[in-house]
Amino acid sequence: MALATLTFQSCDEELDIHTPGNLVPPAVNEDSSLPSIKVNNVQLHAEAFGNPNDPMVVVLHGGPGADYRYLINCKALANDGYRVVFYDQRGAGLSQRFPGTTYTMQLLYDDLDAVIAHYRSSPDQKVFLLGHSWGAMLATAYINQNLDAVAGAILCEPGGFKWGDVEDYIERSRDFKYLSEALNDAVFSDQFITGKDDDHAVLDYKFDLWAAADETTDSPTGNEGKLPHWRSGAVTFDAYIRLAERTRPDWTTHLSQYTTKVLFVYSENNKAYGIAHAQKVSSAYPNADLFETLDAGHDMLTFQTGWNNTYPAIRNYLGNLK
Amino acid sequence: MNTIKKSFILTIASLCLYLSSQGQTINWATMQNTRHIGSVFGGYDYGFNYGIAYGYHLKSKLPIVIMASHAQPAGEKVFDDFKTKAGVVVRVYEVNNFQFAARVQGIFRRFENQYVTMLNFGSDLSATAGYYKPSWFVAGEFGFDKAIVTNFQHTNAFRENFPDVKDGWYQPATGGNFYYGIQTGYSFGANDITLNAGKVIQQDFRTDPTIPFYIQVGYNRRF
Repeated sequence: MALATLTFQSCDEELDIHTPGNLVPPAVNEDSSLPSIKVNNVQLHAEAFGNPNDPMVVVLHGGPGADYRYLINCKALANDGYRVVFYDQRGAGLSQRFPGTTYTMQLLYDDLDAVIAHYRSSPDQKVFLLGHSWGAMLATAYINQNLDAVAGAILCEPGGFKWGDVEDYIERSRDFKYLSEALNDAVFSDQFITGKDDDHAVLDYKFDLWAAADETTDSPTGNEGKLPHWRSGAVTFDAYIRLAERTRPDWTTHLSQYTTKVLFVYSENNKAYGIAHAQKVSSAYPNADLFETLDAGHDMLTFQTGWNNTYPAIRNYLGNLK
Repeated sequence: MNTIKKSFILTIASLCLYLSSQGQTINWATMQNTRHIGSVFGGYDYGFNYGIAYGYHLKSKLPIVIMASHAQPAGEKVFDDFKTKAGVVVRVYEVNNFQFAARVQGIFRRFENQYVTMLNFGSDLSATAGYYKPSWFVAGEFGFDKAIVTNFQHTNAFRENFPDVKDGWYQPATGGNFYYGIQTGYSFGANDITLNAGKVIQQDFRTDPTIPFYIQVGYNRRF
């Protein structure tokens, strides 16, 4: 072992797994060349497209802890007369990291408030939310607290708006076969790399390796392939799952008062979801229009077939409320 | 513990008797006339594993066994991942039937998935203390597995997301886990059936790996 160590110490460059930029890209607070906004005491990786005066569509990515790279197709709405705003939620993607103990749902609501305020060109500019998976859950939680804040919402396969429904969906969507390569790949790397709870670069890298096990095309969620992304937010993922398990949230308590129509999208190929779950989850809204994306899975907004089948429904929905 | 980890643990706990890779477990009370030990084992150790081991009992005043093992995790791809260990275990002290031993092993292991291939050189240092009789034994064990230096080679699939990822040898150490638990076994004739089980925790003694336990069943043939 000593010989091996000496040998590698003589190599030209010492690479450290803790250094952002080696195994994971740096976050916006570590690389000033990345597009970002500073709001609510957090630096968020963010971009906006389209006329700043057009109705705003804020895109909310999944996870928690994913990033908006896989939703970039939604930029097409800028050509339909919308100001499309993307941002990585705090602790996720290329946005600034924080200790796991600091994450709360209220922070996410406040961040979304601040993002809207940052990009808003006038007080009467309409704001729509477009959320995918966890992003759709966040959108609903935000609407539940801020009934007058948004002019409409597109909700793409949220796991649920009550934690029990989310747990049911997670259980159906995780199909690790005993003794499978996928299960092995998810855990064998734990002996190669370890990181403390503030080692964001290490933990995010490990999370990417762990999540790769879930990207197989035989997953019950009907994924077409690997989702493009920049960097996973391992600590924020863990923090929000733990928070939800502890508090068992119900984000539907005021939704009966939100009478604006919402577009609720689910996918044909996601066998863990299905129309029964879609009806159950969407029933929290008094006015939900269900739309099934054919020939696509949970990643319906990312790959060409799913996007081509979903985009017209999104455009029509927004056009009726614009 | 989050829902996803809970699902993992329940799944794996139900199959925890199948495969593992802690390596060879010795009943010191049966070593007097033993020169060679061949072993097979299986259970859970960072994944479902199975393996073989060999030990050579030196002709020395102090009981010393030179040992080597190779473990293979389960999965459709057979040799993409593995862990090989080689080292020595020494019974350093004995009083009545209580025996104390120390083990030092070097590790060479490989991991491969769709994003990366990792090669690691590491070490495994452990100590056991227990009660040993010719037909059975029970001991406590405590050890530290250090991933000293690791080579990362990323695939094009990973570079699609992060083109600037840096391949190469990473040090200082990329990882370390403590483990502690029990060893026990039953011996009959030249045979031992052994069981190791315990907890794994990262080197900060606060953070758990994805699955924070190990369990292994082994069979030794002494000759």
